[in-house]
Amino acid sequence: MSQISVSERAAGAGEVPVSRAPVFARLRKRITPQSIAVLVFLGMCALFFCIPLYVVVVTSFKTMDQIREGAIFALPQVWSLEAWDHAWNRACSGIRCDGLKVGFWNSVAILFPSLILSIALSMVTGYALALWNVRWAGTFLFVLFICAFVPFQIIMYPLIVMTTTLKVYGTLWGVALIHAILAMPVLTLIFRNYYKDIPTEIMSAAIMDSGSFWRIFFEIIVPMSGNILIVILILQITSIWNDYLIGVTFGGLAGQPMTVNLANLITISTGTTNYAHNMAAALLTAIPPLVVYFLVGKLFVQGVTAGAIKG
Amino acid sequence: MAPRWSRIAPQLALTPALAVTAVAFVGSIGWTVYLSFTRSRRLPDYEIDWSEWGRQYDRLFRDAGWEISLRNLVVLGLGSALAIVFGFILAAMIDKEKRGESFFRTVFLYPLAVSLIVTGAAWRWIFNPTLGAQSFLRGLGWQVDFNWLAQPDTAMYAIILASVWQSAGFYMALMLAGLKGINSEIWSAARLDGVPLWRVYVEIIIPMMKFTFITCAILLSLGVIKAYDVVVAMTNGGPGQSTWVPAYFTINALSAKSNLGYASTAAVMMLAITFVVFIPLVALTAWQQRKREAAR
Repeated sequence: MSQISVSERAAGAGEVPVSRAPVFARLRKRITPQSIAVLVFLGMCALFFCIPLYVVVVTSFKTMDQIREGAIFALPQVWSLEAWDHAWNRACSGIRCDGLKVGFWNSVAILFPSLILSIALSMVTGYALALWNVRWAGTFLFVLFICAFVPFQIIMYPLIVMTTTLKVYGTLWGVALIHAILAMPVLTLIFRNYYKDIPTEIMSAAIMDSGSFWRIFFEIIVPMSGNILIVILILQITSIWNDYLIGVTFGGLAGQPMTVNLANLITISTGTTNYAHNMAAALLTAIPPLVVYFLVGKLFVQGVTAGAIKG
Repeated sequence: MAPRWSRIAPQLALTPALAVTAVAFVGSIGWTVYLSFTRSRRLPDYEIDWSEWGRQYDRLFRDAGWEISLRNLVVLGLGSALAIVFGFILAAMIDKEKRGESFFRTVFLYPLAVSLIVTGAAWRWIFNPTLGAQSFLRGLGWQVDFNWLAQPDTAMYAIILASVWQSAGFYMALMLAGLKGINSEIWSAARLDGVPLWRVYVEIIIPMMKFTFITCAILLSLGVIKAYDVVVAMTNGGPGQSTWVPAYFTINALSAKSNLGYASTAAVMMLAITFVVFIPLVALTAWQQRKREAAR
């Protein structure tokens, strides 16, 4: 897979001078009616895509009095931060009413250990499978490939029993551990595909140079892994932060990530629902991955497609 | 010849991953499959009554909730396939026009960065019958019925809309990558021959992008079978059981009904569905890939 995509990219790069030759571009400088139509259509689609974000943002700044008037698309009459304050400090999730800040810090505390654990585990495994002659490597890769597709529900109960035995069920560590385990097959396949393109000459030279498995790993492989690490970091940060199912299953009451708090807030609401509070809470949950997205832009696409395409 | 310890080290380094695969994946799957043949309820019961080992399956196939879940799975799959179509149209337009490419890509892809719980929260609010988009549109004088979430026969469409909104940008990005790999001479050749643009797409470009389409189909079905978060956030399975999907059914059987054996049975069926969908698609991908490599 990765070989093909690399060659595709190479082929595409070769054609750039032809398809985007400045000569043609200058000649067709005038905007044709056709491209106006296309741009208008794309603009309308873009507008449609922005509606939910717009609605969430304006609602989060409104007062409940204005929301009751029913103009969902109107701008706030008074820009109020009350909903944000409430969502962060006082919103209820289940019986606790300490706001989403609890979940936020839980999510942060889940994110870092599971990032380190999952990347360390799958990086070493991918490296060993790609560059060393290990027994049954092909079989193991095939099993990993199957594992990457398996629905979570089929391993859910055994994992609950195991984490309970290890006394990490219902803790942040338990959630982090499960994230690392579930991400392992996919990440290993990505690392393995990246490392297998390393020329064998480099490896032979390194082995000749009395390089041991771990020395080669730390002195040659890790420094070469910058690009793939960034892609994997983006993939993992967004998927761990946005996860709901693992958090709600393994977090118990003490280890709930932010998404679980948010889901509790929007689904189990007693009395009148305060939509401003809900939307502020939704936005608070969405901000960290959105910041990552707008910061890294193009790499994000690579991150999500890498996670998706695998084998 | 490398020293002996350097041959042991890679094997040792694989041990944690092997252990995780053996215990957390292979072992756990076996465990759940075994449980699906038992009469386990709240607590596991490891005795199998061989005279009626398939009783959980019998019960599952007669369960109206499971039937609804399966039907919704198909509806969701077909509906979400719109995201691929939509993604392709967007990608083709962006690729042809080229103006504002990075702007449009950024806008179409941002929904993918946020949690499906957030997506669900946002759409749930837009679908609010008294304060949401319906009241706004009626205020403009359009008698629209936009109260999809509260009606059993339309609630699924609301979930589809939210999923398409969330994932169309992703398929657009994949398609855009595929379109960039297409030889630009095809365009000039088609223009010289005076072939209309839509025919170039239907007869040349789409067949050339088979591989991309299959990839999208695999990813889509994977997402559809896993769909859980968006259902919880938008309808929590309701109204009634109308938006149940297999993932929801399984977790509901385990957590709300505390019926372990039954939940295991549903999970095994989910695995079976995954394999039935994937084996042909993955085989097709492998076949396409081999053909490509042979052609090169």
